Amino acid sequence: MSQFIISVGREFGSGGRHIAEELAKRFNIPLYDRHLITEIAAKTGLTPEEIEKYNEKPKNHLLSRRVNGFSNSIEDNIAEMQFNFLREKAASGESFVVVGRCSETKLRDFKCLISLFILGDMSEKIKRVMNVYELSEDKAKALIDKKDRKRKRYHNYHCEGHWGDSRLYDLSINSSRLGIDRTIDTLEQYVKSRITEE
Amino acid sequence: MSAAQIFAVIIFVGMFIMIVLDKIERHYVTLGSGLLTLVVVFGICMRSGTAIMDTLALKDFATKEFWYQVTESESKGINWATIIFIAGMMVMVEGMAKAGFFRWLCMKIAYLVKCKTVPIFITFMIMSAVLSMFIDSITVIMFLAAVTIELASLLKFNPVPMILSEIFCANLGGSATMCGDPPNIIIGTSLGFSFFDFLTNTGLCAAISLAVSVIFLYFAFRKEITGGKGEAVDMSKFPKPSEAITNKRDFIISSIIFGLAVLLLVTHATTHLTVATIGLFIAAVTLIAFGKHARELIKKVDYKTLLFFIGLFVVVSGLEETGILKKIADFIGNISDGNVMLMIAIILWVSAIASAFVDNIPFAATMVPIIQSLAESSGVPISTLAWALAMGTDIGGSATPIGASANVVGTSVAQKNGYPIGWGRYCKRLAPATVIVLGISTVYLFVRYL
Repeated sequence: MSQFIISVGREFGSGGRHIAEELAKRFNIPLYDRHLITEIAAKTGLTPEEIEKYNEKPKNHLLSRRVNGFSNSIEDNIAEMQFNFLREKAASGESFVVVGRCSETKLRDFKCLISLFILGDMSEKIKRVMNVYELSEDKAKALIDKKDRKRKRYHNYHCEGHWGDSRLYDLSINSSRLGIDRTIDTLEQYVKSRITEE
Repeated sequence: MSAAQIFAVIIFVGMFIMIVLDKIERHYVTLGSGLLTLVVVFGICMRSGTAIMDTLALKDFATKEFWYQVTESESKGINWATIIFIAGMMVMVEGMAKAGFFRWLCMKIAYLVKCKTVPIFITFMIMSAVLSMFIDSITVIMFLAAVTIELASLLKFNPVPMILSEIFCANLGGSATMCGDPPNIIIGTSLGFSFFDFLTNTGLCAAISLAVSVIFLYFAFRKEITGGKGEAVDMSKFPKPSEAITNKRDFIISSIIFGLAVLLLVTHATTHLTVATIGLFIAAVTLIAFGKHARELIKKVDYKTLLFFIGLFVVVSGLEETGILKKIADFIGNISDGNVMLMIAIILWVSAIASAFVDNIPFAATMVPIIQSLAESSGVPISTLAWALAMGTDIGGSATPIGASANVVGTSVAQKNGYPIGWGRYCKRLAPATVIVLGISTVYLFVRYL
């Protein structure tokens, strides 16, 4: 397969973003996560901070309305810009890794898509979040719940399938079982198998 | 309350909540709710085949009055005239858009004012209002906002104030005529008013309001729109208006059809042709004129909106047939205690406030039978209440980004091009402008009709 796109869905604290970064490095392809925001900012004239404010956020239904495919919600429009950007990148023949952004659904028409979902045990996720964000156990748990709730609402609003439902992804893996590094090794092998297979 | 009334209210409230939540496409919501009304309210609770037949109103098509109306008459159930008229205008507008009419008009006007920011700002506001008198505001804003953004990038000005002003004026222009805004079509066809009735009543009020609004919006945004460097404009860099025309033959034909539609609408009280006939005729002429592209135009018609209307009319009929709307009318009559001034103010301002937050189409469809009942019980002319309802629903929608379709489309086009317009930015200028126009409308209604 000359082109391949790795989509990484993730639970907060599961190490999904780190895994995506490592996969991008190992396959020497770009990663679209924060970079996606910078690219869209450059294209539209919005500041990265403005995009970040509405990035992967579900819209407020009471304050939003949709008419003939147009929406007044800034969250909706930023999401749509990101989906279009990803589709354009995919259609250009570029290989890349993308984190979140409903990419497993929005890019599913591309045969070169390899969709992964990284989950983790709550205890391990809490430890990781406490460590990375220097939070107490309670605050780490609350942050995980809040972030995942938002991701779920965002995903389920923009896609037909449910966030984290294994049927949406080619491979769902619990990073707590093997640890982050061995999970990356496993996923690297899986991606290599997929690339060489076709 | 009877079981039928309870179910009719539950279905109506459920439908409104589902529309607001936007989880399911709104035409599925109204069609599903309409089906529930037919089965549960009319079928199971009322066991009334007559109510079902009256609501479906299919026999209307066979009546002469549906197509050719000498005396004014009121309609009940599904307002097929509204649906046929909107469908016909959709076909015509698609033809005009395909030929490049709207883009040409915008570029032409920009050229005529030598691409200077302030004259563009003022002329685009007026054009937005005038076009919206005949064409749905979604189409008007879609093209105007896109051209505004294009001009903004060439002339280096911020397009947001201009887009906001165009949105406001589109809603205002829509209030001026019977076909300008869907609530007006519903009010006009349900209560038997003509295009001219609207033009000489709400139209006059809209004209006064437009003059005031242009001045208000200019002063509100003047710092932003005149903030450019004031450099001489190099007209050679701009796309020529003629480049917007995709096909000269189609352009001429669609312009003639548009002119014909305006003529038929303006004279329909004299010719006695109903809006259903005009809609059907305009659609037929457009399709014949576009020949092999006719299929393409038909495919582009927004069927979802038409289905949304059908479902909506059925649900509102549920409230009407069960007497719920009469109760609401009695309630308004009681709290105004025969005071006509208070009654008008309630209808105008409640309609405006409601339309600022919920879709004004279901609101207007619900209010029409209410004002009919109120007029019968209070003796106030139905026309006075109808103008108050039309002005309230049409203008109230301008106050928030979700109040009217044009607002959603305009803010969305701006956002997609890198100009986010949130609630704060939108309401800061347009909410006061809405209150000013509602104030003008209140005074206008009091002075002219009391």
